[in-house]
Amino acid sequence: MLGMYAVWFTWSIFEIDPILGSPLAFIIIFFVGYVIQKFFIHHIMKAPAAAQIFLTVGLMVVLENMALMVFGSDFRSVAVTYQTESIHLGEIFISKSYLYAFLAALVITGLLWTLLATSWIGRAIRAVAQDAMMAELVGVNATTTYNIAFGLGVGLTAFGGAVILPYISVSPTIGSHFSVLMFTVVVLGGLGSVAGALAGGIVVGVIQSLSSLVFPIHLQNLILFIIFIAVLVVRPNGLLKEG
Amino acid sequence: MSKKSLFISAVIVAAALAPFGFEPKGHSIRVLSTALLFAAAAQSWNIVGGLANQISLGHAAFFGIGAYTSTLLYLKLGITPWAGMLAGAFLAVIAAIILCIPTMKLKGHYFALATLAFAEVLRVVANSWETVTGGSVGLSLPYVNPSFIDFQFASTYWYYWIILVTLCVISFVFHYISVSSLGYKLRAIRENEDAAEVSGVNSFAVKMIAATTSAAFMAACGTIFAQFNYFFDPESVFNLPGISIRVAMIAIIGGIGTVAGPILGAIFLIPLEEYATAAFSSVAGLAQLVFGCILILAVLIQPRGFMAFCSRKKKKPQNSDVGAEVGQ
Amino acid sequence: MASYGVRQLLACFFGIFVFLGNAPAFAAEEIAIGVLQPLSGPNAKFGVSSLRGSEMVVEAVNAAGGIKSLGGAKVKIISVDVPTPNTAAAATQRLVSKNKVSGIVGVFVSSTTLAVSEVTERVGVPIVTFAFADQITERGYKYSFQVTPKGTIFGNAQLEYALDIAKQYGESVKKIAILYEDTAYGTSQAKGIRVAAGKNNLEIVVDEAYPLGITDAAPLVNKLRASGAEIVFPVSYLNDSLLIIRTMRQQGLTIPAIGGAAGYIIPDFKKGLGELADGTLSVASAAADQIPEIALEYKKKYGSFMTHEAISHAVATDALIKAVEKAASSDPAKVRDALAGLETCEGFARGIPGGCVKFDANGYNSVTFPLMVQWQGDEPVSVYPKSVAKAKAIWRTQK
Repeated sequence: MLGMYAVWFTWSIFEIDPILGSPLAFIIIFFVGYVIQKFFIHHIMKAPAAAQIFLTVGLMVVLENMALMVFGSDFRSVAVTYQTESIHLGEIFISKSYLYAFLAALVITGLLWTLLATSWIGRAIRAVAQDAMMAELVGVNATTTYNIAFGLGVGLTAFGGAVILPYISVSPTIGSHFSVLMFTVVVLGGLGSVAGALAGGIVVGVIQSLSSLVFPIHLQNLILFIIFIAVLVVRPNGLLKEG
Repeated sequence: MSKKSLFISAVIVAAALAPFGFEPKGHSIRVLSTALLFAAAAQSWNIVGGLANQISLGHAAFFGIGAYTSTLLYLKLGITPWAGMLAGAFLAVIAAIILCIPTMKLKGHYFALATLAFAEVLRVVANSWETVTGGSVGLSLPYVNPSFIDFQFASTYWYYWIILVTLCVISFVFHYISVSSLGYKLRAIRENEDAAEVSGVNSFAVKMIAATTSAAFMAACGTIFAQFNYFFDPESVFNLPGISIRVAMIAIIGGIGTVAGPILGAIFLIPLEEYATAAFSSVAGLAQLVFGCILILAVLIQPRGFMAFCSRKKKKPQNSDVGAEVGQ
Repeated sequence: MASYGVRQLLACFFGIFVFLGNAPAFAAEEIAIGVLQPLSGPNAKFGVSSLRGSEMVVEAVNAAGGIKSLGGAKVKIISVDVPTPNTAAAATQRLVSKNKVSGIVGVFVSSTTLAVSEVTERVGVPIVTFAFADQITERGYKYSFQVTPKGTIFGNAQLEYALDIAKQYGESVKKIAILYEDTAYGTSQAKGIRVAAGKNNLEIVVDEAYPLGITDAAPLVNKLRASGAEIVFPVSYLNDSLLIIRTMRQQGLTIPAIGGAAGYIIPDFKKGLGELADGTLSVASAAADQIPEIALEYKKKYGSFMTHEAISHAVATDALIKAVEKAASSDPAKVRDALAGLETCEGFARGIPGGCVKFDANGYNSVTFPLMVQWQGDEPVSVYPKSVAKAKAIWRTQK
């Protein structure tokens, strides 16, 4: 949601295309995430997981309503030329705004994977995720690593929000439309797996579209969630992760 | 022990007499009743979430089943909501079994998300199956002359007392489970499921008993909610933030796995939310903002819930196992 | 141990006692009117402009000397945010027992209105609403009043008016499509369109509900394109309406879209679509150009044109205040009786077609009817029926 606002403002003030503005959204929100982790979540890292979930719920309530008070309840959307254009391949229409968003997502996934797999900070994140104490022993500052990881997480979400702005308008509560879907995608793919998230995203998209060919569209989430539960039964750790 | 039971009786008597301080159709008694209703729902959640440490984010599913079953039986067949409440509980047990067989083995986030998905499935069904459920328009309870058999009363006192009794029953059952052998088995599974299995605990049966008990009580709360609010739609009873997350939050803020936790949590959160809405209605969003801030503070100050304050104060070396603490 | 919290529990109980007992009560010299609207959450946009409509009326009444039959008593709005139906019952109860309101105006959202009306009926306080759901005045309730057309009548008008306009341009229509979101509002309006289509022997080639918050309209538009529909009737809030219109454009689909109010006639629709919005027709319960002077004042004050929910809630508020004046009492039961016998045709009431508020035995304002507006320039303009039209309807301006 914040990412969408960030690019909406860069669009409306500087006339920067949302897709080009999206790295900016990533950077701004990365720091927001860094600060949130440092000042809030860090304090309850050792508390039960449930407390962490509810801390973030509280943060969401606060941010949503701050946005409501600052930005008002208007639906804001951008006007760019390509949002009404599409590429015709015979009988198939490919919407340009979706295509650009998809390409941007592919690029960022590639970057994330490279970062996690090859860079020092990427290795540190993975090390801390596996065993924070061992990582500390070999010289990784776990606290900073957590801050960066959380910043990366929310920054990427903001990036995602930014690239869909050409076809989704933003209002304070827009985030809630996506959070359940986001969880579904990540869990379906396997928590902690970059390729899994990508695979999960594609699978969810394909299920939604295919189910709309056979079933009424308002049942698309029903089909999705039934398949979701079924997948978890067969593969309790997600599609791409070994149990 | 007798001192403790004295305390409990005193609280119950005080709670039972509490309404007389308020106007029978007033706002305060309504808020208090709602708080106790959510305390009861959070207590049901606590059976699964607290004792077995399976964080369910789909308890709205059972809540909605309770609300829909009793109301539909009442509207279409004229069956009293009291019987409907039992029918709802029965259906919720079946739903819990259907949900649990496949998801029983899932851990942590995976379990939470599977339950969440289950509640979403039921919401879509309630929304789309218009001929039976009335669809997205929702169901209204007709305005009839108040009578016990119709589960409608002119004075909010009656609702309050019914809710209070429900809360006491659920709390008692929770306490009974937690001190019985079932409670020990649940905790053993929570700490280490494989080890528990090896030492002869049938983890499937144990979890199933906890899940079905929890679901049945949650459905009963759903029925009461429907009767108390007179109107509900799929969006309101199968709601993720409004029901599923809220009951879990109440239990966690109060103290997960303890008897008093959900009650404290509800008595803190529900009136707070209501009071914030009343006090800060001048600026849209301010009330929710304040509420969110208090929530964050509560979690930051004591992530294990209010009950952790007392358990820390009175900590004895060996009793950590009996309820107050929940490990990761 | 499990019951360590008992003492805290006790303390908490008494704490609640004290705080609930001391909550402030309002002075009785003013006439309090409750306004319930979603001011946060997904429908906040609509709730905010609805509240503005109510505020305008109250300011006008107070500026003109308050309620004359009560010695010039001033009217005061007590506004409460009700983002979901679950919050409605407690909010209503509070307005009634703490603030002693004489009546309630709201809620934009149908389901929340239904939840509120169940309480108002039981405590005997009138509610005047703009919400669409048919049930509001079909349950035989004495305290519920609906100033604007109900959902099925809306749906019916959406189709009938469109056919009439098409006929003026010599177009005949045989196949239609209905796309609606699966909320109370979407389903009841779609029902109206369906019935009207049956009466006119039209073939409904697409009849699709979709979930609120859809992120991709392509499956809907694909079906639409394959069906050969000649008109599409989308009933939706804003996000979906933008998506549908844009996706139709992407796929080169040029059939007329006749919107079902809500998202189709708010300023954000134009802001989101720009020139694409031009020519889009939509049904509405009221239009700013029916009451130009009031609408101008509104625009000066709030910076955007007066939307139909703002006008309709202004009409509702106005009716309630007139009823208080007529009853010469702040007693909700007397205000209710005054509302039942009310007939007002001046001021704000002119904003709705028919220009009057006069409730039938069910509390439904049977005098009014929906109208059709069309985006021509920066605002929607009334184009049909003739009795209220301010400009001529243009058919098929989408290229």
